[in-house]
Amino acid sequence: MTEPRPGGGRLEAASVSGGDLVVQLRTTLDRAAELVRVLESNLSALSAAGTGGPRTAAERVVELESRLHAAEADVKELADRLVDSEHQAGRLMNLYVATYQLHASLDPEEVQQTIAEIAINLLGARRFALLLRRDEGVPCEVALAEGIADGDPVYGGGSYRGGVEMVDATLEDGILRVARVARGGGAGPAGAAGTARAEGEVLAAVPLRVMDTIVGALVVLELLDHKPLLGTEDRDLLDLLSAHAASALFAARLYSAKDRRLRSLESLVRLARGE
Amino acid sequence: MKILVVDDSKLMHKMYEVMLRRHELLHAYDGRDALTRLWEHEDTRVVVLDVNMPLMDGLEFLEERRNDARLRAIPVIVVSTEGREEDTHRALELGADAYVKKPFAASELTEAIQRFTEAPR
Repeated sequence: MTEPRPGGGRLEAASVSGGDLVVQLRTTLDRAAELVRVLESNLSALSAAGTGGPRTAAERVVELESRLHAAEADVKELADRLVDSEHQAGRLMNLYVATYQLHASLDPEEVQQTIAEIAINLLGARRFALLLRRDEGVPCEVALAEGIADGDPVYGGGSYRGGVEMVDATLEDGILRVARVARGGGAGPAGAAGTARAEGEVLAAVPLRVMDTIVGALVVLELLDHKPLLGTEDRDLLDLLSAHAASALFAARLYSAKDRRLRSLESLVRLARGE
Repeated sequence: MKILVVDDSKLMHKMYEVMLRRHELLHAYDGRDALTRLWEHEDTRVVVLDVNMPLMDGLEFLEERRNDARLRAIPVIVVSTEGREEDTHRALELGADAYVKKPFAASELTEAIQRFTEAPR
């Protein structure tokens, strides 16, 4: 198995600078915390020693307290910014890695495997299906099904049977749909808190596009137990899959078909030459 | 510092490359591969281990490691999509030092690594 190539590019640069920002923010946060400690120690020293006149000492205490509050507010703000930056860096890293790996191979099997790995490892999907339309007017084939039995009435048997409203709509208009999740963990209409998940219910239907043509959909049916719902950063990944997964897969399939034809032609030429 | 990452997913190897770019990474794609790497690189400081892998999975790797004093000294952080309590418990029972559930934030893993690498060996 080949080792992943070290990558370059804009997204990586973004994730690297995000990481550096996190380091800088951490350092600043540490310095601010140190400042708070110094101020607190000064305050307690002042109260204990009572240096200077009583009025001067009281004024200094007030001033130091005000500085302490300001420093505490700074620490809080920096902590919030650190959390945001870490979150942003993580999001960019996921997007970079997913894009990189989707376009790292021209082997259709490997590209499909990468789509599955993104769904499992980055989105936290347990059950999902990748639907692809080979030709106009033909049902979508199920190119990939994870956690779905062969005999499944909708996604089993190699082709999508249709009839799931959210998926059909996405295949029709190419709009990414994410279900509203009820409080009980199941997808459902708003206000249906605590409802059990119905069989076949869809959490997300992601259109797969090549240029402006809708060539299929990624259907997410269930998430891992410890992943309660799809968040904002997941939405970014779903958008990325929508734009890149199909084109990566189609490029790989085209390359593979072209390669097969080339080999057949070469064999024919060799045969004609009597080699 | 050498970190061995063990996962059958190329995507995850790429992810670790970006996430742990300040460290020297060793790559293995299953448990057997991981054991070989550890024998070749005795100065490995931490192992980041997936559970579901072909040939020898993460739990089998932990069982092998249990029988070897040198390998037992290298901390293992299990990273898995299996998030049930019994999965975590099983891995820790077999000698894993930490358990991180996929998908995870970079900070979860880096903090776990830091915890083991900052402690004196």
